[in-house]
Amino acid sequence: MSKPLEQNFVELLEQHQNIVHKVCRLYTNNYDAHNDLFQEITIQLWKAFPKFRGDSKFSTWMYRVGLNTAITLYRKSKRTINTQQFDTVQFKISAEEYDSTEEDQLKLLYNAVHQLNDIEKALVFLYLEDKNYKEISETMGITEVNARVKMNRVKTKLKTILNP
Amino acid sequence: MDELELLKKDWVNSDAKFEKKSASQIYPMLLKKSSSIVKTLFYISIAELVFWIVINALPFVMSDTYRAKHDEMYNSNWFIILSVLSYAIIILFVYLLYKSYKSISVTDSARRLMKNIIKTRKVIKYYVLYNLIMATVSMIFGFYYTSKHDPKLIEKIEHFNNTQFMVMVGVFALVTVIFVTIIWLFYKLIYGILLKRLNRNYNELKKIEV
Repeated sequence: MSKPLEQNFVELLEQHQNIVHKVCRLYTNNYDAHNDLFQEITIQLWKAFPKFRGDSKFSTWMYRVGLNTAITLYRKSKRTINTQQFDTVQFKISAEEYDSTEEDQLKLLYNAVHQLNDIEKALVFLYLEDKNYKEISETMGITEVNARVKMNRVKTKLKTILNP
Repeated sequence: MDELELLKKDWVNSDAKFEKKSASQIYPMLLKKSSSIVKTLFYISIAELVFWIVINALPFVMSDTYRAKHDEMYNSNWFIILSVLSYAIIILFVYLLYKSYKSISVTDSARRLMKNIIKTRKVIKYYVLYNLIMATVSMIFGFYYTSKHDPKLIEKIEHFNNTQFMVMVGVFALVTVIFVTIIWLFYKLIYGILLKRLNRNYNELKKIEV
């Protein structure tokens, strides 16, 4: 690999790394697992980078590789036995933005999302990232109509988890 | 407020909360080895290829009598044809494996990626199945050949009555079945564990499309 390609890649990843962090946030629940998945997604992105033609946005391309790694390629590492709660480790919550009621509600919501299966999480992820149903259907390989139907079911499922 | 909308609000604002990786942290990551299931599948398929080639070659290397018999058998035309055919089948499997590995792309849609991985696994499965069938056939053929041509064995079974002969055939068949079943179960276990999550996710996607 030539140096400029590597440099170009690292710069793009550094700039868009939040996408990878967000995928890791949905699919892992501790610090070590988060970093492990981040590492694997980085490798997959790097391996696929020479074929990235730039006809789609780098971020759009990252969504696909990131999700595919999380739901298909990634094998959970054996060394991820840290049981610390995700939110207390991975996030630097500052005092001024801390709102206990909303924070509690969000914690419940994130916990509910963690209870979804891998595919449902992927749909929620794309929805949270404001992707339209066409993009969701293309990323997942399902039809637009079915993506919409499934998304509605996921919303209902989340409601049921939150209000049993 | 819709639950997901509240989540979305937080999601959009969560960017600043992640521990940012610097370029100097990202560079070493590029050099690390992937631990993806495709890589594991690749190593397993190589191991399967080598394993069966070694199993087939082992008697030839280990035993002089086998080698002598082997050389003798090579005089028969149909044995040569069979050997050429078995090498051709190995080459065909290597080609199919190569082709299906090439078709696996992380930039495909989730469903297509899963489908291609499952297809690759199937090629390995058929290779193992082919070898198990060949092993069974060889064992039966070998047994039949020995019972007809090996003077020591002929001498022993000459005195066998029908029941004794049937018992011997039965024991031999049982050993063959146990041998084949153990290998098959071992194989199912490896792939069962490795691809459990992938199969579950693929079925979930298929369910959405029904």
